[in-house]
Amino acid sequence: MAKEVFYSGCAAAAYAAKDARVEVISSYPIRPYTGIMMELSKLVANGELEAEFVLGEGEHAQVSIAYGASAAGARAYTGSSGVGVTYAMECYSPAAGGRLPCQMAIADRALDPPGDFGSEHTDVMSARDQGWIMGWAESPQEVYDNTIMYYRIGEDHRILLPQFCCQDGYFVSHIPGKMQMEDQKAVDDFLPPYNHPHTLDPTKPINHGPQIFPDQGSAINVQRAVAFDDVEAVIEEVVTDYNKAFGRNYSPFVDEYMMDDAEICFFLQGGHARTARFAVNHLRKKGIKVGVARLRFMRPFPTQAVAESLSKVKAVGVIETNTSYGGVTRGGNIAPESRAACYNLDNRPIITSFMAGLGGEIVTLNEFYAMARVLSDSVKSGKANDSYWMNFEKEVLDTHS
Amino acid sequence: MSQEVYEVTIWARGVFQDMEGRHATLLMANAADLGGQFVQAWDDYADLPDRVGVPLRKYVRLSDEEIEMRFVYVNNNPVLVMIMDDTIVKGLNILRGMPQGGSLVVNTKRTPEEILAFIPNKELLANIVCVDASGLAADTDIDFMGSEGGVEVAAVGAGISAPLVGAAAKVCDKFTVENVVKVASNKDAVQKGYDTAQVKAL
Amino acid sequence: MSRFIIPKHLEVPLGACLPAPVKEQPGMITGNWRTERPVIDHEACTTCLNCFIFCPDACWHLDEKTEQMVWNADYCKGCMICVNECPANCLSTVNELEFPDGVVRLEKPF
Repeated sequence: MAKEVFYSGCAAAAYAAKDARVEVISSYPIRPYTGIMMELSKLVANGELEAEFVLGEGEHAQVSIAYGASAAGARAYTGSSGVGVTYAMECYSPAAGGRLPCQMAIADRALDPPGDFGSEHTDVMSARDQGWIMGWAESPQEVYDNTIMYYRIGEDHRILLPQFCCQDGYFVSHIPGKMQMEDQKAVDDFLPPYNHPHTLDPTKPINHGPQIFPDQGSAINVQRAVAFDDVEAVIEEVVTDYNKAFGRNYSPFVDEYMMDDAEICFFLQGGHARTARFAVNHLRKKGIKVGVARLRFMRPFPTQAVAESLSKVKAVGVIETNTSYGGVTRGGNIAPESRAACYNLDNRPIITSFMAGLGGEIVTLNEFYAMARVLSDSVKSGKANDSYWMNFEKEVLDTHS
Repeated sequence: MSQEVYEVTIWARGVFQDMEGRHATLLMANAADLGGQFVQAWDDYADLPDRVGVPLRKYVRLSDEEIEMRFVYVNNNPVLVMIMDDTIVKGLNILRGMPQGGSLVVNTKRTPEEILAFIPNKELLANIVCVDASGLAADTDIDFMGSEGGVEVAAVGAGISAPLVGAAAKVCDKFTVENVVKVASNKDAVQKGYDTAQVKAL
Repeated sequence: MSRFIIPKHLEVPLGACLPAPVKEQPGMITGNWRTERPVIDHEACTTCLNCFIFCPDACWHLDEKTEQMVWNADYCKGCMICVNECPANCLSTVNELEFPDGVVRLEKPF
């Protein structure tokens, strides 16, 4: 029976992993994702979930265990936050290149220095080139839904890629919200058991990661490129099926709010989109035609869907809750990719970025109003900076009242 | 353009009262939800509860409309402050940020006057409520998984949270004692907390 | 020359490196963790220094001039190990609200 509950994002992820019938859970504590593993250990201990619960000696071990289990034929689940994610960096490419579709739950945390539990997307964004599927949830409900959908996307034989199922640390992972947990049978119908074309089997030994010569390098890499060519179609299938099976209304790639007649928009991923929509409601009452476009997948970056969505407006403010020091916009990672997605449009919108929420700072309604002012000004003047760091720029400090 | 959100801050002591502090937020939120309010209930992210005696904060936010600024780290302007151990009055400015005319609910065997003697900014209060919650409900188990996002195992509202939230219903119009009784596990204690609480108007 | 304006309240030391505390850490007052405090009977005290040795927070020290034990209200967490370890039984446990002094009153927990 579907059940309405009041759960945090951590609990949502744990119960989704349970409903997805994960078989091997590889854990190591780090705030804020740690609540997921605490809850799963409770479920395994009291017999509600039949799974192997393993403690790695660090995040590097943790992810190695996960993809090893995946290679052995088990649906594997792991997770981390902040510097834990970067500690396991060596393991991401072998998992993706070996086509092992384990899932890693990420509850974002700012990277050191110093010690900051607050949410920042930089931790897992730094692994975005490794060949994993990656996307952000904005609420505990979406964390639950994404966990189940991502397994079906990743385990599809056309894809076979591991997935990062991400949520904002604290904002989504620790503040509970109302959500619906689905009936186990319905989830089983949606998500078939894991099966991999070549699992580790003593009767049919295989080699993972043998030595090759450089002239075979591109042949190995193109396999993942092929998978990423196919993945958008698979994502559309899976999201459409999930919406139908469970009565949801997700857009596969870009979740649009009041975009159709908008002149400017906020473009972002994760929980702050919820505040952005309320800001839009207030700004619209003042006659400002603003919308919100929320990115649901960072990898694959949905180039076509983003171009279509952003082409509706004259100016886009990308709210970057991640940093790319020295990058082309001297800001974050989403704006450069958005600009590239819009490169071939006849009428490219102005795309600027707002460095907001860094370190886990709250992004207030007033900040969204200041951003809207900067965007409206840019439509009039025809230009904008590459990036605005919210607390530290004259233009923003002036509009921030 | 600021929304009306009724903020509650609950102070509890680490390890032994962490679960009851969190249950107090759940009792208020669930009771207010039955009354049609939009609710948030969660633990302060920085106040780690695994240290005996450390002051912890738990928060509730209630509103007639969907809450817009959902992502906050603290309640800056609590209208209702609840302290689960009376010695907390000496250790912190518990009324910090309270708008004029707020309420304080205290778990104590002492009189309101004795408690108020330790609060220099008591002029912010419209009333103080004293209830001997520890006398009305037994000690409960220790479980701080909920502070890391976990799901409550023990029945909500079995210990001191029950009479304290019952007492709070006397001064808070966002939830009724009837609804608190409905959602709490120790229903007697809720009612006794409501009935025996001493409310002193200031 | 960077275009950024750093407001006063957002100035932090370079690389987030701070001077380390030497004798005490006023940024982490823990006196408000206790619900009761140890009270000493100086007549019965033999200055054996057990309380000084056993206190995990170094809240007892001997004042050389008065030759009496001095208690630190700012950091004592009320663990009562000193009461337990005192061989002269000169320490007793009393509820914190019995004392108008020793108020820590932090604006925020830390």
